[in-house]
Amino acid sequence: MYDIYIEEFNLSNSLEIEHFLSPFEIELEDDVEHTLVARIEGKIVGTCSSSGNIIKSIAVRCTCGNTGIGSKLVTQMMNHLFDRGIYDVFVFTKKTNTEIFKELGFREIVSSDKVVLMENGRIGIDEYVKKMFVKSGLGNGRKASIVMNCNPVTRGHLNLIRKASEENNEVVVFIVEEDKSIFSFETRIDLVRKCTKELKNVHVISGGRYIISSNTFPAYFLREEEKSSQYMEIDLQVFGKYIGPVFNIDKRYVGSEPYCNMTQSYNEGMKKILPEQGMEIIVVERHAINGIAISASMVRKKIREDRTEDIKDLVCNEVYIYLASKEAEETIKRIKESDFLH
Amino acid sequence: MKILKPAKAGTLESSDIYITVYPNDGEGINIKLESIVMKQFGSQIKKVITETLGELDVENVDVVAVDKGALDCTIKARVEAAVRRSSL
Repeated sequence: MYDIYIEEFNLSNSLEIEHFLSPFEIELEDDVEHTLVARIEGKIVGTCSSSGNIIKSIAVRCTCGNTGIGSKLVTQMMNHLFDRGIYDVFVFTKKTNTEIFKELGFREIVSSDKVVLMENGRIGIDEYVKKMFVKSGLGNGRKASIVMNCNPVTRGHLNLIRKASEENNEVVVFIVEEDKSIFSFETRIDLVRKCTKELKNVHVISGGRYIISSNTFPAYFLREEEKSSQYMEIDLQVFGKYIGPVFNIDKRYVGSEPYCNMTQSYNEGMKKILPEQGMEIIVVERHAINGIAISASMVRKKIREDRTEDIKDLVCNEVYIYLASKEAEETIKRIKESDFLH
Repeated sequence: MKILKPAKAGTLESSDIYITVYPNDGEGINIKLESIVMKQFGSQIKKVITETLGELDVENVDVVAVDKGALDCTIKARVEAAVRRSSL
């Protein structure tokens, strides 16, 4: 019996680990914060990494047989995360690893044909979504839905919301909660609420941790070209399987996407996956002014170029007021300094 | 004893049990158990956890237990360690 050593891996020298991972067709992602390796006689025999509350890039050399290397690695990783106050852990892994993680106390949320998303938190997705629904105060009637980031909300977003509002009894607008956009989540949702307050059948709520969050939508281990389609599928499966039934959603509205490839293929994925869960997809032509479709990135571009007057045509009055306020100074500074994707 | 913060004890290795305890707001004792010997020993494991919590005067706690075939004495030790860590 060999001795197995588990140790932290210094990511500044990632060549050794990449070499180990390549036969598994797994990559070490850029957002990995912490990596553990298991060694026998100095050689790497297994590894796993973490990014936020997600464990990924997991591989164990199979010639080591049933030596429990995987469970040792995952235990240590969970301890590491626990000590940093991360108690609810998700794992993104190949579908073939599902059983291994079940034995380690994880539950399957959804899977695509290649990958599976699992969780081990105290509150599972079922309970979480039910709580979300109760908190929203919504009734049991049929609803249309829209998922938006709104960074910041534009007349284009409002046009889409208005159309859904006209065509349905009730509309739920989920705002992406993940704070990875230039405008903070609080600001984004607040501005959407202000701009839609006239529309009485529109309810604006937080998307929570299962709608386009880094849990359901991470950049993970599959090779680039496959990557986006796989994680989009996971995100959409979660929406169709868990969010839709609890909120009684039968439609999802979406704006056509002339600019961003990722959003475009997300829309394509939507048309494929959500109807399988009994949801109708309604694509609304993106709102255009003088033939140019409005987007939030256009608004940010104008801010960057100090052309605040032009913004008036792109956003509703509440957003314009906000941008002129003292509160917005920090945000505007951030916009000028960087170029975020979404 | 009062559960003040999340704490854990144990490992996911064979013959051990991984116990995590979390505070809750006066909701009593809730145990979520997963075990490789659920059918044969599920209720016995829960009993040992509940008794150990009783001995430590813990009234409100969420327990998540992932069992790998631990003996009663192991379960007891892991529960006690987790509770003591959480009340530090």
